Amino acid sequence: MTVHEYPARRRRVWWLRNRRYLAFQLREAGGVVCALYGLILLNMLIQLRDGESAYAAFLNLLRTPPMLYLNVVLFALVLWHALTWFMLIGKAQPIQFTRQPLPWKVVFGINVLLWIGVSGAVVYLIFGGM
Amino acid sequence: MADSEVVFRVSRYRPESGGRPTFQEYRIPYRSDMVVLDGLNYIKDHLDPTLTFRWSCRMGICGSCGADVNGRPRLTCGTYIRDMRKGAVTVEPLSNFPILKDLVVDFDDFLDKLASVRPYIVRKDWGDLSKEYTQYPEDVDAYRQQSLCINCMLCYAACPVFGASPEFVGPAASALALRYIRDTRDDGAAERLARLNTKTGIWECTFVGECSVVCPKEVDPAAAIQTLKFLATTRHMRRLLMPGSASR
Amino acid sequence: MCQMFILPIRFRRSVERTAFDLVIVGGGAAGLRAAIAAAELDPDLTIALVSKVYPMRSHTVSAEGGTAAVLRDYDSFDLHAQDTIKGSDFLADQDAVEYFVAHCPQEIIRLEHWGCPWSRDEDGRVSQRAFGGMSVKRTVYAADKVGFHILHTLFQTSMKYEQIHRFDESFVTSLILDGGACTGVVAMNLRTGTMAAIQGKATILATGGCGRVYEFTTNGFIKTGDGMALAYRAGVPLKDMEMVQFHPTCLPGTGILITEAARGEGGVLVNKEGERYMQRYLPGKMELGPRDILSRAMIQEIKAGRAFEGPYGPYLGLDLRHLGEKRINERIPMVRELAEKYMGLDPVHELIPVRPGQHYIMGGVSTGLKGETALPGLYAVGETACVSINGANRLGSNSLSECLVFGAACGLAAAEFAKKRPSYPRGATAREALRKEEARVFDGLLGRERGKETVAGIRVEMQQLMERDVGIFREESALADACGMLAKLRDRFGAVGLADKDRVFNTELTAVLELDFMLDVAATIAHSARDRHESRGAHSRTDFPQRDDANFLKHTLAFRTDGAPRIDYLPVKITKWQPAERKY
Repeated sequence: MTVHEYPARRRRVWWLRNRRYLAFQLREAGGVVCALYGLILLNMLIQLRDGESAYAAFLNLLRTPPMLYLNVVLFALVLWHALTWFMLIGKAQPIQFTRQPLPWKVVFGINVLLWIGVSGAVVYLIFGGM
Repeated sequence: MADSEVVFRVSRYRPESGGRPTFQEYRIPYRSDMVVLDGLNYIKDHLDPTLTFRWSCRMGICGSCGADVNGRPRLTCGTYIRDMRKGAVTVEPLSNFPILKDLVVDFDDFLDKLASVRPYIVRKDWGDLSKEYTQYPEDVDAYRQQSLCINCMLCYAACPVFGASPEFVGPAASALALRYIRDTRDDGAAERLARLNTKTGIWECTFVGECSVVCPKEVDPAAAIQTLKFLATTRHMRRLLMPGSASR
Repeated sequence: MCQMFILPIRFRRSVERTAFDLVIVGGGAAGLRAAIAAAELDPDLTIALVSKVYPMRSHTVSAEGGTAAVLRDYDSFDLHAQDTIKGSDFLADQDAVEYFVAHCPQEIIRLEHWGCPWSRDEDGRVSQRAFGGMSVKRTVYAADKVGFHILHTLFQTSMKYEQIHRFDESFVTSLILDGGACTGVVAMNLRTGTMAAIQGKATILATGGCGRVYEFTTNGFIKTGDGMALAYRAGVPLKDMEMVQFHPTCLPGTGILITEAARGEGGVLVNKEGERYMQRYLPGKMELGPRDILSRAMIQEIKAGRAFEGPYGPYLGLDLRHLGEKRINERIPMVRELAEKYMGLDPVHELIPVRPGQHYIMGGVSTGLKGETALPGLYAVGETACVSINGANRLGSNSLSECLVFGAACGLAAAEFAKKRPSYPRGATAREALRKEEARVFDGLLGRERGKETVAGIRVEMQQLMERDVGIFREESALADACGMLAKLRDRFGAVGLADKDRVFNTELTAVLELDFMLDVAATIAHSARDRHESRGAHSRTDFPQRDDANFLKHTLAFRTDGAPRIDYLPVKITKWQPAERKY
């Protein structure tokens, strides 16, 4: 007697099933989109090589509203990536000084503070000090 | 005590007839403290004895009764009907597994994957067998969470990577591998990581994280897999840079 | 558009093999322990592990409190034996108890070496806690999931041994008998819907108890006394079947178990007046007395009108509030989870409603010390068997130890038996047995049309009458009613027909087969209870309230006949402990 198993059900558009799947896809798709920013930086180097007027034109382009909106979107995606990674660190690589490892929220908090600190230092170096 | 009724839409599939799964609706009396399993049992006992599903302990520890309830993998013995947002309760077999009959799926694959990560204590030297090994309470805490896996398969049903690539070793097998790696009595990290440090092992995982969300025992297999990625990588680096270093 | 996907069911190598040295039916703690013991004895032995569910689903998984062993200086084998024998109301066979207590420690250590996550003391040694009826703290635990951890440790460890061939989701329908010996089993593979004869030079029954003959039980759906019925039908007697344990603390409605460890950690029982009522029944041990005494006390409180009333009837309160959140989370976390999930309350702040429910059966297949039965080649172990170490009442945390100690002993004994036989059993007998079973099950049962009787209907009637007439307190007329009703149900069972005509994964068919087993087993319980004219341990007769050592210091044996079971008796083995008054 032949017995028929029905093959596994896998939805093609599985990532619309709930909020978390959608957030995951945005995070992953965001990575691709962030690569776009690399292209912008590359383009900046090319404009720099092409001389001062080309570079100035490029900087003007960067100040236009569409480019600003694009940067905001990219910044949000980068932020989302960083935060999801920071949330994972405490659980994936437990840091332990006492009987129990540090709770992941503490590790998350420390990473966020370090990040803000380093970012602040970089901003100061670029716009303040020198 | 039946104040009202509830409609169950249950997926049916008869292997001896073939075809594809279809839905059948049943109307059952409803009490506010009913779980989905109670509904399925009512159907089988009073309305349709051909309805087929797995269950045993009814207290969320044997792992038999996994199903997709209203689109999400759950244990039917631990899902209250009152928590379903709309009136009708849709019960389907767990996603990502071949269907044997009605709500029963084939997960033999998992048992092979579990065996492949050597889910037992591996030791070079068993030492004095007349006494217990010393293990401190904090040592037990280090692996307790991963040891709570009841093999219910909800995590595999939730994992889109397993859905697309059935060879993926998967969340539960990985969590159990980590359980043994973290056990201070075990020496088998090298062999397990060798198995996991492969294309069908932990590197298939893209950290969707849904496995940990659906896990009824809070095993957190997603974190376990990322931990294994750290462990596998650091081991690999150590052995590259310092060949012959300790295996742990 | 009818799409037919033909995916051949993957056949494991083991399915091609049908003759083994050892066939073990049941994949719980006892069955797995026996399989591992045999595999370690001799790597050339071939072992079949046949289970109607995947082994990690076995009901061992739900055990919560702990497993007992003498591990410390403040304890001794004599003391453990004495506690067990007194707990059994002197019906236990003392030679078996002495063997048992002497072998518990090595099993705990074995499991520890295999990775079982026993809870530990600060110094790294295995912890032990207090438990009902135990004079000292000797119950080893793993938070409050001891059964879960033991089962998964054993199952995962069994994966080391390639000679253990698993037949998962294979339902054994009968034993194969050849020349007065047992030479294997006939089993239905649920996945393929076909039956096969699995031959073995030795066969071990480790299928657990039969709690599902009762309406309100802690037991899972699969506890239907299969192994007991299989042995019974092959002519082996069932021993002490009237000794049924009712656990005092079960959640009303569902029957979910709240472990004795809750009381071991200091929890107390109160009635609706807030009184610790156990002081009226057992002032010495209070809530840590043996389970039979506690269950009877609860029924008496209920009868006296001092119980709470709830949607599922009367109940008493288990008070854990004084233990504090930290201790509860550390020692009995699952109690908290179960109370929150199934009762919607937090035991840190509220009383847990509890009432007595069927939990375990001390009785079972009559065996000797190493699990051997009267039928050569057939063994039984675990809750399925009655050695007997539990007599008329089992102490909590002795049953997992029993599965381990006797699982190992039986596995070794059956393996030795098999090794002495160079040739496999005759194939012709096996094929004949297979043909007969296929006819009985597929043509006989599966082919029947649905009439007015349903499997659920008869099952519920059986469960209700057992609950009412063969419960905690018993007396002659109710027991006589029960015996009569069960005989009638057996007749009506003949008219049960099936709606599901498929052979593949037919759980209506397995339900009918299980009900068939349960009706046999229930009859042995009712008849054994009726003929024991005394009260001893868990068996309480309101018409014979005293213990009667002169006439009943003996085991009941129930033999199958064409009509009612034939009851006979077997003396209790007494070594050092003379029966005395059971005072706590």
